[in-house]
Amino acid sequence: MDYKGDIYYIEQVLEGKINAFSYIVDQHKNKAFNLAFRICGNHEEAEELAQDSFLKAYRALRSFKMKSSFATWFYRIVYNTTISHVRLKRKGVLSLEDFPADATDFIGANTNEEEAEKEYRNSLVNFALQKITDEERGLISLYYYEEMSTDEIADVTGISKSNIKVKLFRARQKMQEIIEKTEKKKLIYHE
Amino acid sequence: MNNQEKYKEDLLRQYIDPEMTEDAPIGFTSKVMTQIQLESRPFPAIHKLREKSLVPLISASVTVLLIAFAFLIPGNESDSLTSPFLNLFNSLKLSVPAIDLSSIFRVALPSVLMYVFLGIFILTVFDRALYRIFHREK
Repeated sequence: MDYKGDIYYIEQVLEGKINAFSYIVDQHKNKAFNLAFRICGNHEEAEELAQDSFLKAYRALRSFKMKSSFATWFYRIVYNTTISHVRLKRKGVLSLEDFPADATDFIGANTNEEEAEKEYRNSLVNFALQKITDEERGLISLYYYEEMSTDEIADVTGISKSNIKVKLFRARQKMQEIIEKTEKKKLIYHE
Repeated sequence: MNNQEKYKEDLLRQYIDPEMTEDAPIGFTSKVMTQIQLESRPFPAIHKLREKSLVPLISASVTVLLIAFAFLIPGNESDSLTSPFLNLFNSLKLSVPAIDLSSIFRVALPSVLMYVFLGIFILTVFDRALYRIFHREK
């Protein structure tokens, strides 16, 4: 069945057809889960946070102004829910030693070298993400994974566009440093 | 942004693959919908909202009517429609004990002023009570 657009299903829900909300959940669940996961770094927590965000969105659906984008409004809920959660539950600082040396550590029974390399890079990015601040993690996720513009990020986070650029620049620098250090460690490991 | 920064940004893009997404687990939608059905009631029908907004609407109408009435009452004349009300106000003025405010305020204030304040206070208390009743559902 073709998705008829967020507004169509929102109107259905507001008319009392609760089940119409499942189409909205289906449409946005992966992005919501992905954003929550990139910020909190844990699958179980990300699932709970994404579910919580959908519940919050459902409860606040009447306050949603149909003229604006539902996706932006909803991602603001996901972002705020996740950021509030991780701020309450801070984790210990990860050491570079915590990260596997290279892609061979990611080769499983059904993976080839190329897939293992992809998995390694993805894990390396997730590792680097956990070493920057909660807010920076959110911004990097929205910019690189959700591929949002700085204007859209400003709508979601409530941070000014100029401030986003500065924060993104710093976050990017931090992540590059972490990635470079880890890659150097990989070279030393192989020598 | 200088070239070095651009290069660095590209370097991060080499590692970040937007296609490498973490998908929601299987059964995610049904879990959300179960929670929604358990925790939430359907959205209140529009007629309930209309019922709720009826009270302030009636209050506002009565207030507007009273104000209009006050303006329409002739200053000296007493016709059949307004005379009972005017008589009532006149008798009220006579029946309530006059409070001398000159000892408190230097300016000469009407003696009914204390009753006006008392009335406002009572109405405020009623307003708070009604507000709590009509906002209890939140």
